[in-house]
Amino acid sequence: MMKTFSIGGIHPSDSKISKDCKIEVLPVPSKVFISVAQHLGAPATPIVKAGDQVKVGQVIAEPAGFISAYVHSSVSGTVKSVGPRKDLAGNNVTHIEIDVEGDEWAEGIDLSDTLVTEIPSDNKAILEKIKMNGVVGLGGATFPAHVKLCPPPGKKADCLILNGAECEPYLTSDYRIMLERSKEIVIGAAIMKQVLGGCPAVIGIEENKPEAIKAMSAAVAELGYPGISVMTLKKKYPQGGEKQLIDAVMGRQVKSMGLPIDVGAVVQNVATSLAVYEAVQKNMPLITNVLTVTGDCLPMDKQHNYKFRIGMPLSYIAEVAGGVPEAAAKIISGGPMMGKAIANMDATTVKGSSSLLYLTAEQTVRGVESACIRCGKCAEACPMGLEPFLLQKYARNGMMDELEENAVQDCIECGCCLYSCPANIPLLDIIRLAKGDVIRIIRGRSAK
Amino acid sequence: MDKLLVSPSPHLHTKTSTKSLMRDVVIALLPAVVVSVLFYGWSELLVLGVSVASCVLLEYLITKYLLKGTCTVGDWSAVITGVLLALNLPATTPWWVVFIGAVVAIGVAKMTFGGLGQNLFNPAIVGRVFLLISFPTYMTDWTKPQGFIGNFDAYTGATPLGIAKEGGVAAIEGLDYMDMLFMNIGGSAGELSAIALLAGFVYLLARKVIRPYITVSIWVTVAVFSGIFWAINPAEYTDPIFNLLTGGLLLGSIFMATDYVTSPMSNWGGVVFGVGIGLITMLIRYFGAYPEGVSFAILIMNSVVPLLNKWFHAKKYGRA
Repeated sequence: MMKTFSIGGIHPSDSKISKDCKIEVLPVPSKVFISVAQHLGAPATPIVKAGDQVKVGQVIAEPAGFISAYVHSSVSGTVKSVGPRKDLAGNNVTHIEIDVEGDEWAEGIDLSDTLVTEIPSDNKAILEKIKMNGVVGLGGATFPAHVKLCPPPGKKADCLILNGAECEPYLTSDYRIMLERSKEIVIGAAIMKQVLGGCPAVIGIEENKPEAIKAMSAAVAELGYPGISVMTLKKKYPQGGEKQLIDAVMGRQVKSMGLPIDVGAVVQNVATSLAVYEAVQKNMPLITNVLTVTGDCLPMDKQHNYKFRIGMPLSYIAEVAGGVPEAAAKIISGGPMMGKAIANMDATTVKGSSSLLYLTAEQTVRGVESACIRCGKCAEACPMGLEPFLLQKYARNGMMDELEENAVQDCIECGCCLYSCPANIPLLDIIRLAKGDVIRIIRGRSAK
Repeated sequence: MDKLLVSPSPHLHTKTSTKSLMRDVVIALLPAVVVSVLFYGWSELLVLGVSVASCVLLEYLITKYLLKGTCTVGDWSAVITGVLLALNLPATTPWWVVFIGAVVAIGVAKMTFGGLGQNLFNPAIVGRVFLLISFPTYMTDWTKPQGFIGNFDAYTGATPLGIAKEGGVAAIEGLDYMDMLFMNIGGSAGELSAIALLAGFVYLLARKVIRPYITVSIWVTVAVFSGIFWAINPAEYTDPIFNLLTGGLLLGSIFMATDYVTSPMSNWGGVVFGVGIGLITMLIRYFGAYPEGVSFAILIMNSVVPLLNKWFHAKKYGRA
């Protein structure tokens, strides 16, 4: 029987409209703006100033703490300015503005197409390369990859899980790289597996992507690394949630406020695996990724999967793709369930950018809130087994103890509750705020 | 596209709404409604019409003029209460009695608590029980099916459960279960045809409007409880199939015990709720003064729901 996670989950329409669109390389614009906050943790510190000449792949910002990451230039040219600029949500973030001149690459980067299957034996050197090349998790959280690959003392990885679920509707970038870069992904998995001490690696893919399952299985068989396998998972959102995927693949559940490594799991996205391959085997820093331009209001010939460089303005990408459709009311970066609504199309791509998704008003405008009819559909849908109807009531009344007792801090913000609510109650909006407060209380208590 | 919408995730929403869920319940009730009209004729149509119209009208008047708030009749829940109340009454009930039932159901049981989502007790059952206690003569005038189709003589008699209560098991000898399964049980309109009610149940499950836990645990409890007594003394106690098919048990277990607002939220809470309804129903039937007890059982268990919600919670991830 096909595996999936054991609690809750929903089945929104798949909408993988752009799944057959091959990855195209976006032309480089005349100017890029590279953010120093492209990862979870402390924003990187810029090490270039206006007037500096930079090459493609050259470090332009250094990590500012243990949980932080290097940022590299995605173009060659002259640094025009270093200063605040609005990101896609409208927050001011330091960006490095570069005028593009030519396409000159930094030294030591292997630009050939040759597949490098030989894995270096020195794990320390591998981790250093992953760190120096700025690899972060590309499944959504953009957590620095090398940190996750160094289990804390006393903890051991029992299984490396590669997340190929891509459970968010519409997104097809992971799907495309699983078809087009399957071997590189498998080599990336073999590298991470070796670093983690040789634990088995499982590539989890949902059943609605038979082509990807076929391609990845073929790559695993052809390359012949021991201990790597492909697992077909039953389609259910949020299968790609870290905790849900661990439950589905290993049958283990991470304790509340705990980390995956506590149950011996390390989860990395397939796109991260590709970035690890590039970093370790090709010495290529993470300056490109694949994003999907899609939406029901786009004709088939305007659906795209693009390989982009970081720092490209979203408006530029939209223009190249054929313009923003008239019917679009909301543009999402990321999936429709957990992605962010774009407030500013002048914002630029970051390492974790995964889509420009156009939604129509009819699709996305919420209905008028009405009374809770206690149908329990939110609780049925919650993959963490929480009771959103109860949490929202406590939250509206500021009942912090009750919120903590009922595990609001376990919420993964997947959106299943709000999606399912027939009365249009903004469950997650309310719970998200309460969760922040409760986590601050818990942290404050344990800091004492 | 002049302006971009910005809001927190998720950006998609299910097509299922309160309205669509309630409408599905009305659709699920249609087979039973059609059968009852076919077999009870004009009088049943009148009961249904008066019941639904007064429930909707009362909710409209109360929300608009008494509470001066948003009018909620568009959510179809008043229609459900109206249909369920009608299906719980004999077809011969005078129109003004039906109207009083609607006043109690909507006015007292639903709106005084704050409307949909707030009421502790199932409005239709409160209305029905109020009428049963206030107008016992009208409420036990069970005319045997006589309507647009079928070929029965007008006959005023008791329901099968009533007969069994009066005359013991011997009195119901020769009762044909096939009749009961299809459309020939004396009793309130909604008890007519088990098949019609079960069709509604299948529809509700298929559309994922309800979960099966409550309904099935009521059936299992009734079957096991009556099975034990019947096995010990078949001359004294009625058999399980008889108990499952009579006295509005199907109507109650499928459409009224599963009312979202007045039933527990968790699956295990639902099982306990169902077992409670099954037990109380059978205790009333075997040992109580009334021939049937589904309505009372549901009302009693409705009052326990807040406790069940407190005791039974969904299984949480990583907190085994």
